[in-house]
Amino acid sequence: MASISLRKLVKKFGELTVIPDLDLEIPDREFVVLVGPSGCGKSTLLRILAGLETIDGGEVMIGEERVNGVPAAKRDIAMVFQDYALYPHMTVRQNMAFALENKGADKAEIERRITEASRLLDIGDYLDRRPKALSGGQRQRVAMGRAIVRDPKVFLFDEPLSNLDAKLRAAVRAEIKALAQKIRTTMVFVTHDQIEAMTMADRIVVMKAGVIQQVGKPEEIYERPVNMFVAGFIGSPAMNFFPVTVEGDDLRLQTGDTVPGHAVPGFATLSAGQDRQIVLGIRPEHLDGAGEGKGEGVPITVDLVEPLGSDTLIHFTLGDVAAIARVSPDLRLAPGDRVSLVPAPGKARLFDAESGKAIQ
Amino acid sequence: MRARSFSVPWFTVLNVIQLTIAGIVVITPTLWMVLSSFKPSFEVTAYPPTLIFSPTLENYASLSQTTPFLHYAFNSVLVTVSSTLIGILLGAPAAFVVSWTRITWPAIVSLVARMAPGTLFLLPWYVMFRHFDMIGSYWSLILTHAVITLPIVLWVMLPFFDGIPRSVIEAAQIDGCGPIKIFRRIAVPLVSTGIAVASILAFVFSWNYFLFALVLSNAQTKTLVAASFNFIGEGATNWGGLMAAATLIALPPLILAVVVQRWLVSGLTLGAVKG
Repeated sequence: MASISLRKLVKKFGELTVIPDLDLEIPDREFVVLVGPSGCGKSTLLRILAGLETIDGGEVMIGEERVNGVPAAKRDIAMVFQDYALYPHMTVRQNMAFALENKGADKAEIERRITEASRLLDIGDYLDRRPKALSGGQRQRVAMGRAIVRDPKVFLFDEPLSNLDAKLRAAVRAEIKALAQKIRTTMVFVTHDQIEAMTMADRIVVMKAGVIQQVGKPEEIYERPVNMFVAGFIGSPAMNFFPVTVEGDDLRLQTGDTVPGHAVPGFATLSAGQDRQIVLGIRPEHLDGAGEGKGEGVPITVDLVEPLGSDTLIHFTLGDVAAIARVSPDLRLAPGDRVSLVPAPGKARLFDAESGKAIQ
Repeated sequence: MRARSFSVPWFTVLNVIQLTIAGIVVITPTLWMVLSSFKPSFEVTAYPPTLIFSPTLENYASLSQTTPFLHYAFNSVLVTVSSTLIGILLGAPAAFVVSWTRITWPAIVSLVARMAPGTLFLLPWYVMFRHFDMIGSYWSLILTHAVITLPIVLWVMLPFFDGIPRSVIEAAQIDGCGPIKIFRRIAVPLVSTGIAVASILAFVFSWNYFLFALVLSNAQTKTLVAASFNFIGEGATNWGGLMAAATLIALPPLILAVVVQRWLVSGLTLGAVKG
């Protein structure tokens, strides 16, 4: 168990700077998820923590120790890889014992830890099998087992669920979360899947182009994104963005329809008639379908309907913006239907169109 | 459909013809060698060649009477096995490092050394070994043959090491292994087929190599291939004896190739595809 501290971190690949200047503090026993689109530097950051990549500037601390230049073998961290990276020529038991043998642990202790981990992960039945004879889900568990037996200072996960099918992914996601709660060790988990990030993390770190956009609890990131990138990245379907202008107490959409300003946080800081381009961000789940002819809300025409069972996604176009709303299946909407959508009070966000920053 | 049903047999026929021609080209000298080794000396060079003759073992019998054939065989085995071992012990780790670091110039240099004509090395080596009074020693042969085996091992092993997922090596790093332990405990067990293939190829090339043994050996350390040269005299050549010796010399690589043929081919392609 240990805290992690990254200070003024710089990483380059040749001429290309992938992490220009990064600071991050991860307290002991926290489950942190690094999330961002492909190429945002999240995996590189994880590999820097693991000692698999060198750095071009700054400082990496694990616990009280400065580990710049300390090889992976001496960092006492465990890592679960995307492709599991089990040793193909060793049995599950040998895979799990390998790191402990390298440490010089005695046989009884190794056996005790393997038994304990295999009970925790329910892999006791195939300890003597080779990885080749295991399914994807089983391999995934063995990879976790190999990490757990080590009792490391820090666990690192590099997109470990991306090779699993959707059903298994949900199951393993829950397992990892349960496991994290049981063993309470510092964990850093990398994913590009915002659902994984939301469901598992104590704190989420959203990254883009090697720069941290926002660090916060899942609900904080979801409810109060600091910019349009975070707002658009977290949440599924993604947040809708509509260009608006301030008109008296209202926000006017491209179509001429208005949204009352008092329902939108941050509206009070705006003044009417200013030049600033403003974007109204509303999540699909914060648009209530009021039905036709209720008078209130923004009238739209339904382009496409995606029934999900528990609720229904309707696609529509407002001005030149394609958007989605998550409405009750009881509305029984069909393409071509007219419906009024009402933004849930206090849930929409305002952004500066130029900088993308949230207007608080 | 029509075109297809016609084209397939034609393709097959062409294939068979090609293979037959290739087969004849390869087999004829071998067959000539083996048959000649069972002919009386005067019949070997008879024209037109005789296909029907009464076979004799006199050439084989004379081999051990006129030459220390078994001693030469021992020399060949000693030099070949030692140079193959050196090739594996140095070439396999080198291939691993080249594969891992992607620093390829040492491999290219070794390839150039392998492709350059042997005579290029011969004179400097001769001078060098003479300076150290090593002409005629086993070591001079073993070391020079290692120059044959090492590039073979390096280049055969490369795709096998490339085939190991980098994450597996990284997992071993994280599990507390240094480079030597990773090589020994993780990489080597995963490329055992490659090591077998490389060993066989290195063995065959070293076994058959003529030039270095001819110049750097003496009567005591001559290898079989170099010793077979004794049968070619200035005035007359003992063709029967030469063919018998050649047949026996060709046997170990031939047997080795036939025994491991399937494995050899699948091993060679496996390493390549995996990478």
